[in-house]
Amino acid sequence: MQRRSAARLGPLLLLLLLPVAWGAGPEPPRADGELQVSSRLAGQAARVALHYLNYRLGSPSALRALGQVRKATVKTIPGIGHKYYLQFTTEDYKSSQNVGTCLATVLYLKRKPRPAVNINCTYTKDQKQTREDDYSFYKKLRQQTKPITGNDIPDSYGHIEPALEPAWALAVAGSSYLMWEKSTENLGYFMAQVKNVKQWITKDDSIDFDYLVILHEIPTQEMISCHLRVIWTPGHPLKVKYFCLSENQQSESEEGSGTESGSTNGIFNEEEANF
Amino acid sequence: SNMRLILFFSALAGASWCLETFLDFWLHPSNPALPVDIRVPFPSLQSVKVFLESHHIEYSILLEDLQVDKKKQEMVNNQRRERDTSNFNYGAYHPLESIYAALDGLAAEYPSLVSKQEIGKSYEKRPMYILKFSTGGTNRPAIWLDAGIHSREWITQATALWTAQKIASEYGNNPSITSLLNRMDIFLLVVTNPDGYAFTHTNNRMWRKTRSKNSGSLCIGVDPNRNWDAGFGGPGASTNPCSESYHGPSANSEVEVKNVVNFIKSHGKIKAFLTLHSYSQLLLFPFGYKCTKPADYNELDTVGKAAASALASLYGTTYKVGTICSTIYQASGGSIDWSYDYGIKYSFAFELRDTGRYGFLLPASQIIPTAEETWLGLLKIMEHVRDNQS
Repeated sequence: MQRRSAARLGPLLLLLLLPVAWGAGPEPPRADGELQVSSRLAGQAARVALHYLNYRLGSPSALRALGQVRKATVKTIPGIGHKYYLQFTTEDYKSSQNVGTCLATVLYLKRKPRPAVNINCTYTKDQKQTREDDYSFYKKLRQQTKPITGNDIPDSYGHIEPALEPAWALAVAGSSYLMWEKSTENLGYFMAQVKNVKQWITKDDSIDFDYLVILHEIPTQEMISCHLRVIWTPGHPLKVKYFCLSENQQSESEEGSGTESGSTNGIFNEEEANF
Repeated sequence: SNMRLILFFSALAGASWCLETFLDFWLHPSNPALPVDIRVPFPSLQSVKVFLESHHIEYSILLEDLQVDKKKQEMVNNQRRERDTSNFNYGAYHPLESIYAALDGLAAEYPSLVSKQEIGKSYEKRPMYILKFSTGGTNRPAIWLDAGIHSREWITQATALWTAQKIASEYGNNPSITSLLNRMDIFLLVVTNPDGYAFTHTNNRMWRKTRSKNSGSLCIGVDPNRNWDAGFGGPGASTNPCSESYHGPSANSEVEVKNVVNFIKSHGKIKAFLTLHSYSQLLLFPFGYKCTKPADYNELDTVGKAAASALASLYGTTYKVGTICSTIYQASGGSIDWSYDYGIKYSFAFELRDTGRYGFLLPASQIIPTAEETWLGLLKIMEHVRDNQS
């Protein structure tokens, strides 16, 4: 009798232990002020800002990756959270060329689930060119009579089939939404692999993909599997739905349709971040 | 008629189960335009021929008798392996067996400099081989370099293998490495976690841990870089066997870790402990288990920055330098914390390319550039050790 109840408690105890094991550190900064540009928290916050930007721009040809953090400060807003002020360079996701600098604020809120981001960037790539690249992506995908399917992108050896590149780029854009939502001050994400992709041929003019993506979670090192549904029409907000499976918790999107809080000087000029 | 071919072979494959003709497809039916290769056991030969001919399906015999050819092929392969360190493709990712063959190849090609030693076996009884680079002497002070403690970090094993070839070929040519090897030995462990590495090829490309069984759990494996005796069980390691950063039941519980610890301790004169990880482009030194600076912070930081600078000089790849805790995250039970606390001052960990685009799945085309630039960083550190070791 005793043994059975102990066994039932076991997993519960483990679940309770886990946050304790991680909560002890790396500590969010206690003192306000300037952070070392090499600090993990600065880089992480910058990445969150970029996830938000990549999602909001919804442009597979204009995806950006973090270059270098140039300046980072953090402020505690009592009762609300920690606000990071960042300046960082960005690189083109595909070519790694430097494509400009961003100024961003990232507010990790104590009560709301996702970070509030405000980001403004210079962009040195020819925007007309990226619009054209997006459109030729789009045309190629619209011209599919047979739906695109694929596995393991990139494969074990880091290779991406050229025919699957557009699908992969769209997965990065869609995953950006997911990673932005899931990010906290301590938990960061990278899109490790597209495990599976399946295109839905639509009757309207949207591009519709179903993905299974693997996210790499830092600092836990866990690989999180998420189902991702991405609906794209160039020049329109990306529509993303997701459902993640994980050892310890599941997370799910509300409908992501481009109206979340945060702001960017991209195409969208709507609401300011509400903090 | 092409479509029919596919259906036929599917039917044949199905039929083979029922009729026990034991057809072995070497090239599976996939596309009407592509041929299918089948190995047919002798007892089934007649019936298969009849089937094909009666359905007007063209076939040709590639190998009359496999048994004979297989033996010939094996011999050719073995001979080729012996000869082929110059033809070994360092710019590709290789399975464990090929890496081990390459180690043999290097020892055979540079017998007066390179020897292979076994330092113990893994959990699943795979040998753990180190290469010793030595120009002689008895128990000279030495530098330790390991890779692949986390099996999914494929760029590390590949870089280490390239580095082995580089050290061997540079002796006598590069004055720096020549003077180093005239005074010190180098020990290189290319695959620290062979069970994990094999598993990344057969089952799960993203496997990180060892493959040891955890009592009381269905989950397998311990994070070998949380298993060292340095702040063991502290923050930054998990108590959950199902976690990727599970520290294990006790320090050195993992035989892979124990084998390295035993080697280092019994050698007694290791002056530098260098380890390769990926990804993030970082050059790290202790501590990870606590967020305080080590006593040798200034020197390690200076050497680290010089190494990062040398690394960046080749292709512009930028690395951040700092303690584990401040640069990456607090993590207890790590190898370089143990080596530093053990007395090996020059303890560094590299996190190689990239910064997240490909992550663990770094394209093979980046292996050699990564290895080349990392070499410059390693050399910088090794030169400092050579010039400063007491």
